[in-house]
Amino acid sequence: MPCKLYKNALIEAAASSAEPQADLRAHLDACAACRAAFEQEQSLFASIDAGLHVTANSEVPASLLPRVRARLDEEANSKRRWTANWFTLASAALVVVAFFGARAVWHTNFAEKPVETTGTTSVPPRVTPPPQQQNPLVVPPVGKNSVSQRQPAIAKNALAAETLVNGKTMPEVLVPRDQEVLLAEYAEQWRFHKRTPLLAQDSDATILAPLQVAQIQIAELDVKPLAEEK
Amino acid sequence: MQELVLVPPGRTVGDELEREAAQADKRREFEQRLAECGPLAYRVARGVLRNTADAEDVAQEALLRAYRKFDRLRDRNRFRAWLVRIAFRLALDRLRSGKRRELRDTLWSQPERQPPAANAEDLAVSNEFQAHLESALAELPEKLRLVLLLAAMEGHTIDEIAAMTGVSAGTVKSRIFYARRQLAEKLRCHASFIKTR
Repeated sequence: MPCKLYKNALIEAAASSAEPQADLRAHLDACAACRAAFEQEQSLFASIDAGLHVTANSEVPASLLPRVRARLDEEANSKRRWTANWFTLASAALVVVAFFGARAVWHTNFAEKPVETTGTTSVPPRVTPPPQQQNPLVVPPVGKNSVSQRQPAIAKNALAAETLVNGKTMPEVLVPRDQEVLLAEYAEQWRFHKRTPLLAQDSDATILAPLQVAQIQIAELDVKPLAEEK
Repeated sequence: MQELVLVPPGRTVGDELEREAAQADKRREFEQRLAECGPLAYRVARGVLRNTADAEDVAQEALLRAYRKFDRLRDRNRFRAWLVRIAFRLALDRLRSGKRRELRDTLWSQPERQPPAANAEDLAVSNEFQAHLESALAELPEKLRLVLLLAAMEGHTIDEIAAMTGVSAGTVKSRIFYARRQLAEKLRCHASFIKTR
């Protein structure tokens, strides 16, 4: 057992790998136990250093640097490929966006064009015929289905749909040409039938005489006796 | 076979060639340092992980990261210190993640390289002490461990370690001293394994 007084000093001396100071040196010369403990500590630290040397200077695998170089090559190639792919994808995305954008613009112009024309001062305001003259069910014959004719037709349909919602006019119906007159007659009847109550309300009540119902006359029944059974 | 290069719109062929040349210069410069510092990265990782396969993976990753960010390193003379820090940090992350723990445990008691032993008894004693030493090393605080590993590596002076770790030479000496003392405290109970060398 080393002396308690010198225990820490000899451990520190062994840890620092330095020569012990004079007083410790003198004690070690005199004390065999401390000298043995000091040698033990020196041996311990020497073993630690040797073990650390083994750990810290382990042999580097021969595959390390070739693997790193291969990864670097692979990374450079993949970066080049990625760049190429990125530009390809970006170009494709641009084309798709341009296509949908153009389509959206075309649709917007298509729908807004009649509104713009009615809004201009050069075009006279639309005159709505009176209900008696109006015949919305009759569709004007459409000639060639050209683009210039389709645009007003769509706008007219939009207007018709709007007025239908407001209840101001009748819907337009597409019918065969030979049934056009029949449908018009039917529509007139239907409109007259529907407007009857309104006409009754609008008319003056004093003009109409109160409803007079003749008394019911019941004739006396002539009951004949049943014939006697034979 | 001629390689075709897709030149993106907005860039000229000259720009592309210039970029390729810059990449080639970077690669050449990095290659010079790779041969010199690659083993260092591996040994730092090996000192932390105590496993050859993991250390190789970590060293490879550290070198790749260093290459990717090589342009950002203004002072190229500090490449060694920079790489050591990357490798040490990655090795610690790998150690903490606990991946491949079983493999590491199986290889833990079988260090690849041992000092030449006189006989089977010496070899057994040496293996056992080495295992305890590496275990005790893993328990050291990070700062002490890195300095001790760098000091144990061949060819590193105190000043070089100070430059690599970014601390003063006095701090390096102090850390080495405390690290060795802590290791001795942990290994003193295994002193029976030690034979006078």
